[in-house]
Amino acid sequence: MGSAHSMPEEIQELADKTGFTLEQIEHLHRRFKQISGDQRTIRKESFDRIPDLEFNPIRSKIVRAFFDKRNLRQASDGLAEEINFEDFLTIMSYFRPMEMNMDEEQLDHFRKEKLKFLFHMYDSDNDGKITLQEYRKVVEELLSRNPHLEKESARSIADGAMMEAASICVGQMEPDQVYEGITFEDFLKMWQGIDIDTKMHVRFLNMEPIAHCH
Amino acid sequence: PRARDAPSRRSGAGAMQPPTGPALASAPESAPGAAPGSSLLRWQWREVQAPCLVAGWILVASLAKIVFQLSKKVTSVVPESCLLILLGLGLGGIVLAIAKRAEYQLEPSMFFLFLLPPIVLDSGYFMPSRLFFDNLGAILTYAVIGTLWNSFATGAALWGVKQAGLMDEGVEAGLMDFLLFGSLISAVDPVAVLAIFEEVHINETLFIIVFGESLLNDAVTVVLYKVFNSFVEMGPVHVQATDYLKGVASFFVVSLGGAAVGLLFAFLLALITRFTKRVRIIEPLFVFLLAYMAYLAAEMVSLSSILAVTFCGICCKKYVEANISRKSRTTVKYTMKTLASSSETVIFMFLGISAVDTSKWAWDTALVLGTLLFILLFRAVGVILQTWVLNHFRLMPLDRIDQVVMSYGGLRGAVAFALVILLDGAKVRAKDYFVATTIVVVFFTVLVQGLTIKPLVKWLKVKRSDHHKPTLNEELHEHAFDHILAAVEDVVGHHGYRYWRDKWEQFDKRYLSQLLMRKSAYRLKDEIWDVYCKLNIRDAISFVDQTDRATSALWLCPACPSGERESGSGACLDLQVIDTVRSRRDKEDAVMHHVLCGSLYKPRRRYKASYSRHFISPSAQERQDKEIFQQNMKRRLETFKSTKHNVCSAKSKARLKKDGRKKVSSLGVAESEACTYRASPSSLLAAAVLVAVDSDDEESDSSETEKEDDEGIIFIARATDEILQGKKASGSLDVCPSPRIIPPSPTSAEKELPWKGDRGDLAVYISSETTKIVPVDMQTAWKQSISSLESVASPPGAEPGPHAKTLAGPAPEERHMMPEQRTCFQFPNPLLRSSRPQSASSPERTEQPELQPLMAPDEHGRMSTSAGPSNSRWLIQFNRHARFSDG
Repeated sequence: MGSAHSMPEEIQELADKTGFTLEQIEHLHRRFKQISGDQRTIRKESFDRIPDLEFNPIRSKIVRAFFDKRNLRQASDGLAEEINFEDFLTIMSYFRPMEMNMDEEQLDHFRKEKLKFLFHMYDSDNDGKITLQEYRKVVEELLSRNPHLEKESARSIADGAMMEAASICVGQMEPDQVYEGITFEDFLKMWQGIDIDTKMHVRFLNMEPIAHCH
Repeated sequence: PRARDAPSRRSGAGAMQPPTGPALASAPESAPGAAPGSSLLRWQWREVQAPCLVAGWILVASLAKIVFQLSKKVTSVVPESCLLILLGLGLGGIVLAIAKRAEYQLEPSMFFLFLLPPIVLDSGYFMPSRLFFDNLGAILTYAVIGTLWNSFATGAALWGVKQAGLMDEGVEAGLMDFLLFGSLISAVDPVAVLAIFEEVHINETLFIIVFGESLLNDAVTVVLYKVFNSFVEMGPVHVQATDYLKGVASFFVVSLGGAAVGLLFAFLLALITRFTKRVRIIEPLFVFLLAYMAYLAAEMVSLSSILAVTFCGICCKKYVEANISRKSRTTVKYTMKTLASSSETVIFMFLGISAVDTSKWAWDTALVLGTLLFILLFRAVGVILQTWVLNHFRLMPLDRIDQVVMSYGGLRGAVAFALVILLDGAKVRAKDYFVATTIVVVFFTVLVQGLTIKPLVKWLKVKRSDHHKPTLNEELHEHAFDHILAAVEDVVGHHGYRYWRDKWEQFDKRYLSQLLMRKSAYRLKDEIWDVYCKLNIRDAISFVDQTDRATSALWLCPACPSGERESGSGACLDLQVIDTVRSRRDKEDAVMHHVLCGSLYKPRRRYKASYSRHFISPSAQERQDKEIFQQNMKRRLETFKSTKHNVCSAKSKARLKKDGRKKVSSLGVAESEACTYRASPSSLLAAAVLVAVDSDDEESDSSETEKEDDEGIIFIARATDEILQGKKASGSLDVCPSPRIIPPSPTSAEKELPWKGDRGDLAVYISSETTKIVPVDMQTAWKQSISSLESVASPPGAEPGPHAKTLAGPAPEERHMMPEQRTCFQFPNPLLRSSRPQSASSPERTEQPELQPLMAPDEHGRMSTSAGPSNSRWLIQFNRHARFSDG
């Protein structure tokens, strides 16, 4: 939607859909064009143009999340090849701060949406569960910035975390029970202690287009 | 005597330390010199007076704390600081009555040089730095703008009251005097805030904002106080425009300079601790010395000393904690807490005592009431206005309730009091009025507000802090979260707070940490890893505590804890340091300890009893461990070769099994019942363990077979799938290898060791993977027993059943191993021995009922199969009759 911002009603529509203000959309669109190189869509390679992202240990996961159809609310599975501006806004809207006038139900929904985004990032094979393998991968990536911690450590940490998850979520397990992975319900349970709504947001206003993008 | 000595103490208190040193030094010399041969004893009160009084007062205050804590009811309602102030009032009254004049005042110099630094250092060092920096914007706003607003508004309003003629004529003060007073009375006091808020447990964000403000506003207070003080001394007429500018400039110099001094010393401190590897014993000292130097250095050049220490504490912590040893860390923590707590106690008590001194008082109702009203009013107004502005920028807005708590939590304390005492009575003629007002304000805020803030917080339903320890998952998610948010900021192109924090962390990791941390520490420095290790230690501790209940289960299978330990991380499980084994209160433990210490082990080397001031020598226990460990290693390596071929298949098979079960896991192992401990080793050992001990009358005295069963009850615990899954322990075992920091652990030699007693009918088979880290006493015992068994071991691979071994001739060294073995088998069963006659249903065996269902109907067949090394089941059989019949 490269031409979207020229049409006020279309912008309005986007604003209604994603909850951003017109001004924010304006800003984001400028940024979108920077990343895409004035194209209508963003492909995975486009993210290479953001130099700061390079050092992020879980970069691939994050970039992947942008193309995850579950996050784009398009399909329950699969990856998109490219995303347009509307999709971009959809992803960004996960990081919107909550508003003062939200009621309980909205807040709850809002919170769940954010957590779903996170969950999808972990659950790469989209089977509704974060399996041990998936968890290990994430931990390995998280620790990859420290060259002195070996994969073994990452593995044992992931395993420990998985055990902990099992004990939190299932509690006492039946003898034959096997904990296959963290489901979304379990995931919610684990996040109970953390106020995600106080953390998972980014300030979208006052953005200066950054020159060193290319 | 107290009354007579009092004046000299007062003079000493001001500059306490200088006289203390000489006094102490001269005391021993003067004793023989002054009265040669005249008397055996000499009264030398003068020499020890100052330090003795200091120690005495601290003792009184500390004893008072104990008394307060006796009644839970009182302390849950009344904050301790209130009680201490009241106690001070009482003591001050007594002193006043005896001495006929008020003594033992809170001297400003003593307060600023000795009492305040520990508290500030403590709060800085243990400040949750992440939270602090996350909220730095709000904290700075409240600290700088809020304090400025408060002082000017209060000062001006009081001046207005004075102009309106409501105040007594005696209050000779102009605008400058009131502004000066406003500046000292408006600052929120860190000591008071900390004392009250620590008991209230409000949520972290709110706490850090109020507390951070109270720390950081020091710079503003110092500057305002000094500027106005100089203005008052110059006289308002002579103040020129440049002086105002100087005042503004000095604010930046004082605050930034103070912070810079703190950072400098933090850097030095971190650097120094990097090189203290060989002088562990004085490690903690550096922390205190350098922090105190930072304070004094800042004070010396009249920068904000509180800021200096705060920043020194916040910034050095990460590196210092990584560099110093665990014991030093504990020492630092406790010393800091002790110092801070005693300072706080003394401060509040002396506040109470000082208030009694009416000679300094000059009461003016209008001034007192006006001040109280204004500080409450302006604080509230200031908070509301600032929050309104801040909420436009904050992602997490502060709501009404937060604002109420923040306004109400603006407590004044000893800083204000010390500052008002410091005023020059000749220049500030209304000093006495100000002193009285300050005392009233401090008392009002600490007593009234301190008492009511708890009910208020409850009534308003302020979000409390939930004191839960971080779980590994939370830590992982939070880390992932930080990266995600930083990435999104990158994508959005907005260089916000997270962007800079990310950049800072990269910088820190790449340069700063490398420079300031030991290589070994730096390598392993990772927050996730840290949490992981901490959790493991916690599990280990809880496990050992749990063994209280399951002690006897452990005796049967002393290697169990190693399974637990291993499931944690070998890295940090130095249980000896934690010393949790002591939590076992059983009689059994004491007896066992005796046996282990006394009869089991005879050190090969003689250790000289040595004393060193500079090193903490490893305890005898540690040395014994080491030696036993080394011996066992040697033996094991020898036997390992011969048994290896048997083990391989068993091991690999077990591995496969466990892999399949990896996800069946639970950290709750430690919490589950005794039988868990039995199941966990089974998977750990990953090989058949058969302890088939046949006890006859002679043997049973000293062997584990005390668990003799006349009816021939067989206890079999098999590591079959159901059991393992039921216990959920298996996954944890090979899933959690402890990487890289495993202490030189014995190779995982699994042995099937047939052991034949000197009587042909006694056979013991033990297969065990060596223990990694086990609680010390058990480790020792287990290794000892294993090693003694090993010495008579022969590769069992070919043997079909236990009985084949009984046929083997006694090994040559067997005889002389016997005594040792007896002693080591003795250890678990001091209680059981007494219960032997009815041992069939020995009630001490907690695991017995749990194991019974596991009894296999075809135990003999199983026994013989499980004796084979390729079988992953383990089996413990205590039965002599069955054994006989089998053969």
